[in-house]
Amino acid sequence: MAIIERPVSVEPQSIAVVAPATPSSAMGALKRPVVTKGWREWVFTVDHKKLGIMYMVTAMFFFLVGGLEAVLIRLQLALPNGKILNADLYNQMFTMHATTMVFLFVMPMAAGFANYFIPLQIGARDVAFPRINAFGFWALLFGGLFINLSWFLGGAADGGWFMYAPNSGPIFSPSHGVDFWALGLQIAGIASLTGAINLIVTVLNMRAPGMKLMRMPIFTWMILVVQFLLAFAVPVITVALFLLSFQRNFGATFFDVSAGADPLLWQHLFWIFGHPEVYILILPSFGIISEVLPVFSRKPLFGYPFVVFSGAAIGFVGWGVWAHHMFASGLGPVSVAVFSISTMAIAVPTGVKIVNWTLTLWGGKLWFTTAMKFAIGLIVLFTVGGLSGVTHSVAPSDTQQTDTYYIVAHFHYVLFGGAVLGLFSGFYYWWPKMFGKMLNEKLGTWNFWFMVIGMNLTFGPMHILGLQGQPRRMYQWTENRAGEGFFNFGFWNLVATIGSLVLVVGVFLFLVNIFITARSGKVAPLDPWGARSLEWMTSNPPKEHNFDSIPTVHHLDEFFHRKYAEDSNGQMQQIATAEEVLKQLEDNADAHIHMPSPSYWPIVIAFGLPVTALGVIYSIPVAIFGGLIILMGAFGWALEPSTAPDTDFDPPSAGDTSKDVVHVG
Amino acid sequence: MNHIKITSDGTTLVNRLGRVMRRLKPFILGTSGTLFLASCATNAPQDTWKPKGPNAQKIDSLQKPVFAVAGIVGLIVATAVTYSVIKFRDRGQPIPKQSHGNPALEITLTIIPALILAIVGVFTFRTVFDLNKTSDTQMIINVTGQQWWWEYDYPANNEYGITQPIITSGQLVIPVGTKVMLRETSRDVIHSYWIPALNGKRDAVPGRITINRIEADKPGIYAGQCTEFCGLSHANMRMEAVALSKEDFAKWVANQLKPYSAPAEGTLAKEGETVFLNQCTRCHQVNGLTRADGTPVIAAPDENVWSGAVPNLSHLMSRNTFAGAMFNLLTPECRTDVWKSESASFGAKYLAGVSEPCLNQTDLRGWLRNAPAMKPMYANPTQLAATNGKYRGMPNLGLSEADIEKLVAYLLTLK
Repeated sequence: MAIIERPVSVEPQSIAVVAPATPSSAMGALKRPVVTKGWREWVFTVDHKKLGIMYMVTAMFFFLVGGLEAVLIRLQLALPNGKILNADLYNQMFTMHATTMVFLFVMPMAAGFANYFIPLQIGARDVAFPRINAFGFWALLFGGLFINLSWFLGGAADGGWFMYAPNSGPIFSPSHGVDFWALGLQIAGIASLTGAINLIVTVLNMRAPGMKLMRMPIFTWMILVVQFLLAFAVPVITVALFLLSFQRNFGATFFDVSAGADPLLWQHLFWIFGHPEVYILILPSFGIISEVLPVFSRKPLFGYPFVVFSGAAIGFVGWGVWAHHMFASGLGPVSVAVFSISTMAIAVPTGVKIVNWTLTLWGGKLWFTTAMKFAIGLIVLFTVGGLSGVTHSVAPSDTQQTDTYYIVAHFHYVLFGGAVLGLFSGFYYWWPKMFGKMLNEKLGTWNFWFMVIGMNLTFGPMHILGLQGQPRRMYQWTENRAGEGFFNFGFWNLVATIGSLVLVVGVFLFLVNIFITARSGKVAPLDPWGARSLEWMTSNPPKEHNFDSIPTVHHLDEFFHRKYAEDSNGQMQQIATAEEVLKQLEDNADAHIHMPSPSYWPIVIAFGLPVTALGVIYSIPVAIFGGLIILMGAFGWALEPSTAPDTDFDPPSAGDTSKDVVHVG
Repeated sequence: MNHIKITSDGTTLVNRLGRVMRRLKPFILGTSGTLFLASCATNAPQDTWKPKGPNAQKIDSLQKPVFAVAGIVGLIVATAVTYSVIKFRDRGQPIPKQSHGNPALEITLTIIPALILAIVGVFTFRTVFDLNKTSDTQMIINVTGQQWWWEYDYPANNEYGITQPIITSGQLVIPVGTKVMLRETSRDVIHSYWIPALNGKRDAVPGRITINRIEADKPGIYAGQCTEFCGLSHANMRMEAVALSKEDFAKWVANQLKPYSAPAEGTLAKEGETVFLNQCTRCHQVNGLTRADGTPVIAAPDENVWSGAVPNLSHLMSRNTFAGAMFNLLTPECRTDVWKSESASFGAKYLAGVSEPCLNQTDLRGWLRNAPAMKPMYANPTQLAATNGKYRGMPNLGLSEADIEKLVAYLLTLK
């Protein structure tokens, strides 16, 4: 894996001695993996592109799990006094639906995109800490599986994803579900935190020459903001989860009212994390469509600096709005008024983004690919969610609508209409880059319309249900409170359930599209969309080392400006094809590119985490055993050879390469 | 393609939007009007847009314009996007000028929403403080939530004839035109008290007392629902606020303070009293009930139930609901009769309470037969390890049909 031989333009050196391909070792025992075929190719990899794909596959799996939970919820609520789920199972279902979608779908999917595309977009060959990157992925996967293990061990968490104390305590939630939830999220949180630090360092230190911060692609910018949010928000939830775990597993009394605790402590901790979390979920999608819209409008993002700074402003103001989740909790009028105003304030930078996207379309030359359709869908549907958000910022109004279906409608327009449509836009836009094949556009159009119509049928009626007074988190609704006439709870609940099934068809069409594309998809041309940024200045899929030579950046939209220039009449004219641009990079290829070696230890350490967590719940010796695995993994990690020698590889490279080796990681 | 005027800097956006909006106006008014009527015609009891008292009215006067403004902004965005999508689709026009924006336009379009929000903010500020005013409170009721019902405790208040505290549950009875302060708390987890027609919601937090003010303009029943997720039977934790005219409220108070009258000897109800004494009084209090030897019966729910409280059943049949307002004590016909009655006749109908022909025998007997089968609760002894054997909810008492018959007869006497 690790050494990439450069193309033919370098004189082939005579190889005097070919050493046998054995791994180098440290302390006579610790070795780096060298086999790069079969399952080992994936399990021990530290390659950011492979890890990106693994993140995405994992996230997709959990998307289907969370979607199944959602469908069960909707089937239960289709008719009054639903009997499909009992109260206990329903409470577990909505808790796990939210937990899965937030922590195990949207976050890892965004992490997958970030992992795959940040190094490519900034002209780097990998992330700053490749082994930590691998560790982060495995921790996320094991954390997600660990949380879901609770389904089979006495029931999942049943306190809602917000897990308010004291209802989450050992007395009110006696199953182990909440234990699995708290410890599993703790593990996933470690993944987020390591990922955040890794990407911050990568973006700040590993940009291609000439790529100033204000020449950075907007997706990279948004991901950078998200990583800062994660780096500061995850520690807060970590503290909260530790308090909860200690309360549940070791008899602490942090949220025990009879011992003098104030249950609002949890709410503050949770929402200080939870509100930035909302922006952690949505900003990556904002970044994706800010890439997609300019490409398919054939003009740059309108007001790039405004979009960057509004993203950063959302990142800052996002820390000052958490108590708007607590308007009904009796904080007192001063706090309520202040948080009301700050919440209105955050609508302004969000509005700036919508204005800029619309003006990006304005005067463009629009090409309605599936990616573009999803991006335009996001503008409109996210706006609906944003505006219903503004109605919540009016605190007195919020005390009527909070904890009703109006809120459910609001955040699904934000998270489905916003985050999910953005991610799907990303799939269609970057699929040829990642897999070298074009997703079927015709099927993509069906995919888009089913999802958009399905989501509006599902979540649109929830606005009305909420305003008519249907509360959330009720396993049944009754005709007593349903109102009269045709358009009562009964009608809108049924519409929402039918909508959710339409949505299922939409998602299914995407899976079909993947399947068809994998079997018989059209091979992607080098630059299928006429793209604008660096990740397209390499082959599809990218070579393992991303770029033969690192491009020097002179413009925002560097790739576009290498292909087009203004003629004397001010018209944009093509001056080079994508192939020619790529050829230029290949011709100046670096001699030897030294890529990070795979490692055994990230998966070992990550595996120790759920073992430890299991021990915390059931038996301390098991926890100690898990701790030993982590300790052993840490020693292995620290002591393994920093890289495998050139001779480890097949074919081994020539002896002395030190002069022109390019090190990464 | 010369007829397509490409304005990549968007300066003519406002003009164009104006024209489009004018064209779309009838359509917008038509659609929003239909939707509005469609969602309003249902008379849903918990409708958040139908205030029936000054507190909810204040919220409503604030929220309706905000919804309207949000709706208009939404339509503008949708129109602008739709217009761009149609107007600027690829018709073979040349690649547009690579304009990076128009700062003046950007700043304008940042300031306009900021100004709109500032105006909304001023009114929000005023309403927040307005709703929190408590200095003119006329009556206080302590409202305590627990899994999964509400207890109402009326402190003595001579002005309203409440000479000694009244404890009730299920239905909160208040006089109309009276500024009532609810002092909320909880005995276990967080609950939230919400009667949408009278005010927004306010959480009942254990270890804290939160304040909520309600006032009803007219006599009637106003439905509500616990809106903070509170565990297994959260969906079944309901409440109803009953507003009575001042005279009717005085009658209601007088009835609540009426001393206990034991059923006549030899009646089925008297046998029911014995069953009640044996089976129910460990937890349920009936004020004035005495044992055969004349000693008063004091229930000790704290020894059996985690929250330490169960509904006080004195004057049970003066209420229309039971089991956390999950079930009606009235048959559907009788319930409709009360709920649908005019303001003027409502008080008399409500005060009549539950008579035998109106009693919802099905649910009440079902409840006595096996309560946990009707409402999910932690009432199975195998589920009580975490609470040291204390129940969260009413267990299955294993009563015989004969005992149930007697109990129903007895409960009917608790007027």
